[in-house]
Amino acid sequence: MADRTSDIVDPSLAEAGRSRIDWAADFMPALAAVSADPSAEVLRGRRVGVVLTLEPKTANLALALHRSGAEVSVFCSGTHTSDDVAAALDRAGVATFARSDADAAVDQRLLDRFLDQRIEFLIDDGAATARHMHTHRRDALESLVGIAEETTSGVRPLRVMADEGALAVPAIAVNDAACKQLFDNVYGTGQSVVMTLLDLTNTQLQGKLVVVVGYGYVGRGIADTAHALGARVVVTEVDPVRALQALHDGYRVETLEAASREGDVFFTATGIGYSLTGDHIRSMKDGAMVAVGGAGPPEVSLDGGNPVVRGGFARSQVRVLQVASDREVHLIADGECCNVAAAEGNPIEIMDLSLAVQFRAVVYLAQHAAGMAPGVYPVPPEVDDQVARAVLGARGIEIDVPTAAQISHATNWNESIDEKEAN
Amino acid sequence: MESAADRSRILDPSLHPEGSLAIAWARRHSPVLTGLVASTFEDGSLEGVRVAVVVHLEAKTALLASVLADAGAEVVVAGSNPHSTRDEIAAALVERGIEVHATRGSDYGTWEKDLLAVADREPMYIVDDGAELTIRIARQRPDLYRRLRGVSEETTTGVERLRRLEAEGNLPFPAMAANDAACKHLFDNRYGTGQSTVQAVLQLTNFVMAGKEVAVVGYGWVGRGIATYVRAMGGRVSVIEVDPVKGLEALMEGHEVGSAASVLPTADIVITATGGMRAIGMRDFPHLKPNVVLANAGHHDLEIDVAALEEQAGAPRQVRPGVDRYEWNGKPINVLSKGALVNIAGGLGHPIEIMDLSFSVQGLSLHELVVNDLDPGVHILPKPLDDAIARARLEAEGVHLDSLSSEQVDDMGDWIGGR
Repeated sequence: MADRTSDIVDPSLAEAGRSRIDWAADFMPALAAVSADPSAEVLRGRRVGVVLTLEPKTANLALALHRSGAEVSVFCSGTHTSDDVAAALDRAGVATFARSDADAAVDQRLLDRFLDQRIEFLIDDGAATARHMHTHRRDALESLVGIAEETTSGVRPLRVMADEGALAVPAIAVNDAACKQLFDNVYGTGQSVVMTLLDLTNTQLQGKLVVVVGYGYVGRGIADTAHALGARVVVTEVDPVRALQALHDGYRVETLEAASREGDVFFTATGIGYSLTGDHIRSMKDGAMVAVGGAGPPEVSLDGGNPVVRGGFARSQVRVLQVASDREVHLIADGECCNVAAAEGNPIEIMDLSLAVQFRAVVYLAQHAAGMAPGVYPVPPEVDDQVARAVLGARGIEIDVPTAAQISHATNWNESIDEKEAN
Repeated sequence: MESAADRSRILDPSLHPEGSLAIAWARRHSPVLTGLVASTFEDGSLEGVRVAVVVHLEAKTALLASVLADAGAEVVVAGSNPHSTRDEIAAALVERGIEVHATRGSDYGTWEKDLLAVADREPMYIVDDGAELTIRIARQRPDLYRRLRGVSEETTTGVERLRRLEAEGNLPFPAMAANDAACKHLFDNRYGTGQSTVQAVLQLTNFVMAGKEVAVVGYGWVGRGIATYVRAMGGRVSVIEVDPVKGLEALMEGHEVGSAASVLPTADIVITATGGMRAIGMRDFPHLKPNVVLANAGHHDLEIDVAALEEQAGAPRQVRPGVDRYEWNGKPINVLSKGALVNIAGGLGHPIEIMDLSFSVQGLSLHELVVNDLDPGVHILPKPLDDAIARARLEAEGVHLDSLSSEQVDDMGDWIGGR
């Protein structure tokens, strides 16, 4: 049996971590509902590995799995670990491999120990651990039954792996669930990315020209939040349909090259590397700010033929890029996804939805994985309904149920013709 | 001679580098204060003039104090609320030779002593917030009160206090209601407090606004700004008002309006913005939803009656930094930043660009007081100066306006032959 002794910075931080976890728990009714459902019984004694940014909300997912009788292990790289939360998980009985002081070598050692736990179900973020297992730790694939993937950036490589026949197990695209991407990516990331920039800089967006690079769900959320706060918004896109959608949402659409000369604040949300480069940055106005809202590959690249050099800090998390003798550009959170790197990530109620879907995805895999071929699967629609219903219920909101006549009308293609004929 | 550092009472002078960096950042985003206002003071009118600055002591206020000192004023500084004082900013001011009396989180008695220490420097003019220094001088230093040459006041609350003094026949000097200038209240109270209050509530709680029901208590400029951003970010607003016109305005704006008893039971977040005291108090606690979050955006720490809550529910437990939870008859009630101004005590205060406008109003108001022989009483910044501030900010943003054509001017002046 694998050694389940946690590797964390300081067990004495457990109380502080617990307090933060409990605060979040109070506002996570969906996770509470799905983990109280009798279907969660199927997790008893199963080994679940969680690789998500380690903070109070994801800790509640780990604890919910733990309370359902699963044997839960957690890994998180140093840059995304809250030591107090790690300590609280360890105290609760979750094998936790996460140290904020870890360098790359230590992170590697912690990941290996995590994979030594003979994980059956992997909750992954960006498919980083799944890819690593398929390339470097194929021994760990032997125990693996299924994967539940959290992000857009992770679903994409999983599909590529499935297409190439490289994927060893079924994977559920939690990201694609309605209760995830309609809320998490739009309201959660949109709000928190914009608010992080405002919190870090003490500035306003009213009257500013905000450039949003990429108009997917995240880009739309950022554009909506910036607009709501009084900014004029310009969207840049490479996809004509998304560009057209931005236009219909009331935003100006331009090329990034043109927008980079006039924008006051830039948010990237493309999920694609090299989306904003040194050449764009060099053409920006003095004092322009650049922040990243995508959690995938580095979207902002300072490299290129004529790389931009990182200077000192104008204030905490605000990096000076000296682009000309009389012009500097300010890079937020060093180009990392800023709401995660420099704030608390997505809001609690939004993560409640995503994490409740994660929980149900693991339950689904535990019930059905034996009959599922390797591949990427959508979240079953009844999961979305159950999660949405739980949140509405917790808020005391009732909705209508369709009448028999409505159901009959919606499901019989010839009914309206019959009615006309009867008349 | 005793240095400013010797006379000051601050936490730790060695904190100054962090404070200086924050002030430099504020300077970068304050084109009007460092442009129009600084050049107005190049006339030397502030040389040797003693000015007290008693405003929330953080980076933007420090920039104002620096601009006044650069213009030759002898500036002495205290905070208008100990919960909002930033010790590194106080240190940076002392480092550049300005006398400061303030520490973060000091008790009421210590804070009041700090204000009186500022009074004892015998300021000729006061840049005040909530009239906190002015009313203390009126009560406790009557001789100095009669010698004061002018006060410029930042807030709605403070202007009301000054008008009361005037009505009582006890305002022997000219006072500028900086708050009442268009470039102050139309922007600071609405956009500044509105945005930064919503921002602080979200940051302290890690909540999302979309889908929330938020009760806004008081629909003045501040309440209006909060309601705007709550709705813009996907929240629903219910307004609690006592003034029928404001209540009607809120209704026309598309918000729910109702009594506290009808609104509070479903509100997830309650934000007070009345500028008065005990807007949420004993009679309201029974109506609150379990696990509600209470935050205050008004001047007084007493707008949420935290003392009454504590008396009935006992001491709170801190469940997150800046979040105290009370158990009132078994019902959890969360209070942000101990009921102090949440955007300042729990965040970084107003956005810099907004304070650039507000402090430019303060700067030009002070200039008016210094260069003109104004009568005692409450005055408002002349419109051309208000306009100059707005124009300077527009120009900094690269925006240029049209001016009226001569036909338009003629038409407006033609009241007899109107078509």
